[in-house]
Amino acid sequence: MNTVLGLGFILFAGLLSAKLVKKIGFPAVTAYLLLGILIGPSLLRVVPKDILASSGLISNIVLGIIAFGIGQNFSRYQMRRIGRSVLWISVLEACGAWILVTAIFYLILRQPFYLSMLFGSIASATAPAATVMVIREYRAKGNFTDTLLGVVAIDDAWCLIIFAVSLAIAQAIYAYQVAPFFLLKVLGESLLSIGGAFVLGALSAFLLSVLYRFIHTPTELLILTMGLVFINIGIAIWLNLSVLLASMFLGTVLVNINRYSFKFFDSLKMIASPLFLLFFVLAGANLEIKILGSIGMLGLFYLIFRVVGKMLGANLGARIAHASTSVRKYLSYALVPQAGVALGCALIAKTDFPEAGNMIFTTIVATTVIYELFGPLLTKYALRKAGDIIV
Amino acid sequence: MQVREVMSTDVISAKRSTKLRELLNSFKNFHIFPLVPVIEENNRLVGVVSFRNLIDAFRSYHPDVLRLVPFLDEEDQDIFKIDVSEGIGDLVVVEDLMEHEYVSLTDDTLVEEAYDLMRLHLKEELAVTDKAGKLVGRIGVFDILKAVFRHKGII
Repeated sequence: MNTVLGLGFILFAGLLSAKLVKKIGFPAVTAYLLLGILIGPSLLRVVPKDILASSGLISNIVLGIIAFGIGQNFSRYQMRRIGRSVLWISVLEACGAWILVTAIFYLILRQPFYLSMLFGSIASATAPAATVMVIREYRAKGNFTDTLLGVVAIDDAWCLIIFAVSLAIAQAIYAYQVAPFFLLKVLGESLLSIGGAFVLGALSAFLLSVLYRFIHTPTELLILTMGLVFINIGIAIWLNLSVLLASMFLGTVLVNINRYSFKFFDSLKMIASPLFLLFFVLAGANLEIKILGSIGMLGLFYLIFRVVGKMLGANLGARIAHASTSVRKYLSYALVPQAGVALGCALIAKTDFPEAGNMIFTTIVATTVIYELFGPLLTKYALRKAGDIIV
Repeated sequence: MQVREVMSTDVISAKRSTKLRELLNSFKNFHIFPLVPVIEENNRLVGVVSFRNLIDAFRSYHPDVLRLVPFLDEEDQDIFKIDVSEGIGDLVVVEDLMEHEYVSLTDDTLVEEAYDLMRLHLKEELAVTDKAGKLVGRIGVFDILKAVFRHKGII
């Protein structure tokens, strides 16, 4: 199959599978991922090599776009609107999974620290698609639903920050394993990667804001936004800065200096959907089924302790913020799904750490499938227990 | 030519607390639903409601919450089948429907700029404020076209 035919086939099959899977109550992302596994090199082998080889490119672009959008969460308006309980619960459930998974992998599974931290940071992600789908389907309404939506909406932002910081540290640890002044070098390198990303993102935001004055049509706006988001990602890759943080800072600075910043993000939304589809299908296609057997304990521990970490964190957050009993007791059940951001982070890890990256990626894809299949059921359970839906 | 020379100052506005029923009743004799500016007590513009936002009355949450969340499926709710009670006319208020992030103009903006802004943001109407952010009028593509026709001596 040639590359163009392959692309067409993926888009077409993706659309069909999403329609099919929706009928049984799962979000499109689950369909894309399963389709990717099915048509990937491990099973049907219909994804052309060229497309498979461009997985890194697609994931960089997609993650750049979503990090840019997520960065806009940190506007004055959004920060004012976000409630105390949403803030506490979201920060602590993300940190809970991060810390617990890192600790368990390092102390019990005896994995290297940088690897444990990468697993831990990916564990902080929560995918809202399945949760939101259940909320929509049953028209859930109430205090519990409001808090849940708030938490899943901001969670990706915390995850991207946690992952970007962990990745910077992991890369530095990996590079300077035997070097003298180890800690100093790790700290310096990480700060450079994060600080540099901030400066780059801020500069791109100012440039975008200035160039906006010369833009007259929606098409020009789309081209300008896409061009600058790509340039921002490209320079970050070139200078070894954090791609995720550079894109996120671009969104954050832009939203605070340009009153029409939401239009930049909205314009990208028009072209983002087919890219997202490709991203998920390729994530599935990159799964090497033969490695699946070797992840055994890692996968099981990740599966369990990510959820336990989120539960402990969400519970603590709800207690600190004096949230209602139902929020404290059941909210974490609805935070089980994991998908886009976790897969994207795992793809980055796969590219940056050729040896261990494959294991991280395989574990994340396999656990994503499991979480996404059980996630909707748990969300439904939580909403019913909280009294926000009657089923 | 500035926007203040072309805009209409006769604007029906709403408050955050205006009920959906009251909002719809204000326009029962119009054959379109125009852009409705939302103002606070001191006339300060805080949002807008367009006919597109009216569909959000059928949603169980404010769509703004999920605006920045990636990878969500689009919601294809069938408004003909959704089971809603008459009560939503009083339960849903403008605050639940309005857009907090919107495009608006100050009355000293040049009409050419206003037209560009409408073209860029695909809007047919925009709310107009003074320098202090207080609502003073609204301007639509038709107002601008009329001004151009007048300028050319056609009308």
